[in-house]
Amino acid sequence: MPLTIPAPEPTPPEAVIEVRGVCRAFGSNEVLKNISVDIPARRTTAIIGPSGTGKSVLLKHIVGLLTPDKGEIRIFGKNIHALPRKELYAVRKRMGMLFQAGALFDSISVGENIGFPLVHHGGGLSEDQIRAKVNEKLELVGMAGFYDRPTAALSGGQRKRVSLARAIVMEPEVVFFDEPNSGLDPITSDTIDQLIRDMKAALGITFVVISHDIVGTVGVADYICVLERGGVAAWGSTADVLKSDHPMVRAFLSRNLDLDGISGNRVPLPTARPQQPT
Amino acid sequence: MSVGPVAAVRDYFRFVAAIGRSVQREGLSWSASVKAAWDIGVESMPILLVIAGFIGSNLSLQGHAAFAPLGAQRMLGMFVSLAGVRELAPIIAGSMVAAKAGTQMASQLGVMRIQEQLDALEVMAVDPLAHLVAPRLAGIMLALPALVIVATFTMIAAAYAAAVMQLGVGGATFLRFAADGVQPIDFAYGEVKGAVFGAVICTVSCWYGFHCGSGPEGVGRATNQAVVTSAVLCVVLNYLLSEVMYGG
Repeated sequence: MPLTIPAPEPTPPEAVIEVRGVCRAFGSNEVLKNISVDIPARRTTAIIGPSGTGKSVLLKHIVGLLTPDKGEIRIFGKNIHALPRKELYAVRKRMGMLFQAGALFDSISVGENIGFPLVHHGGGLSEDQIRAKVNEKLELVGMAGFYDRPTAALSGGQRKRVSLARAIVMEPEVVFFDEPNSGLDPITSDTIDQLIRDMKAALGITFVVISHDIVGTVGVADYICVLERGGVAAWGSTADVLKSDHPMVRAFLSRNLDLDGISGNRVPLPTARPQQPT
Repeated sequence: MSVGPVAAVRDYFRFVAAIGRSVQREGLSWSASVKAAWDIGVESMPILLVIAGFIGSNLSLQGHAAFAPLGAQRMLGMFVSLAGVRELAPIIAGSMVAAKAGTQMASQLGVMRIQEQLDALEVMAVDPLAHLVAPRLAGIMLALPALVIVATFTMIAAAYAAAVMQLGVGGATFLRFAADGVQPIDFAYGEVKGAVFGAVICTVSCWYGFHCGSGPEGVGRATNQAVVTSAVLCVVLNYLLSEVMYGG
């Protein structure tokens, strides 16, 4: 099926997340090298790249789970690593995250997992109100009727859906997806991509997708940031990045994507020695 | 864990301080704490009864063997109550709780670490220390002193049974000397030891769980290190506390 990519905007919306000169090393292994990137508000931005390029590490820095050695990350205008715990949690209440393996609590039911943030931050919602909100999100992710199911009995795709429902139950302004397709068969993977597209249309909020699945990513992303060995190899609108001459970007995209099959964006692969980005 | 021992100790004390700050900021869930205390107590009770019972009987046998040649069998009750109340009951209860509840804490939190559930709590703005560690800490500090009392009386009862039924010591004599051997403060000291051991077992086990390496091997290693470290620390602390309580 040909993929349709959005036309690039003349100017991207204001950034909701600003990553500035972020460096991080684990021992002698430099994972992030001077990363700077803006994540536009109310758009879907994909951070892609081969395995081991620091995508998930960057995401963990953005949500404040890891602290950079150098640089800063501002989210909603606040330097997330300089915030006291209370303010950090206030910021985090405005975000949701789908973890790679779901990160669901197996000892409680599907509904309790999704309602977990509401129990803690729901501002005194009654049990019935929480149940109603959870059921609404379950329906949104195509899992109506799963409220009382044991979490441990879910399949991989179902876990991702439930995790997505939990990520959006607080109606956040930014949702992060860490490898939403990893470990899924192609059909389930397509379903998750479709779900992200539907969510994007329904909620109109900022999505940040970490992935090495370029095919799925191109279908959902307005902006793409390609990481290579801890640095930014390409960054811009999806259409612009697909035209990038950067050799690693070309190699990564062409190995994973039939570029000729993308509607409205016939992009020839470079035949001459590609130019290095400036 | 790849950090050196000095860094590990420093990190452990930071972890303990962070638990305190979390409780101060978020408060303590008493319902979760009571549930944790109940779970720890119930899970540790069967093995504790068996171990304390046999150690009590053994105390009688060894005590009798030591005192009989001197014609001082009557002292058996005093020996059992002194050793049991002051030293053995707290350390046995602590060891059993480290083996049962401590390993469970380390492995549960370790699995939560490798499955990113601890990260998920953080991202959901739920403090994992306040939500997961603080109730366990309060629970173990409630449960372990209670288990020390259970261990004390189980040990003395088993020692009494062995002394009277197996060794022919008079029951009334045994009990009189047992009562004379200890003071009410000894029971209070036993409770203090239980609470301290509980705090150490919980914080050490949770620290290992939180700092678990990747994969099942990481969880196994964290669990193993948690129980070994807890047991060693309990024995060392038992000596230090006894020195403070009874020394000089």
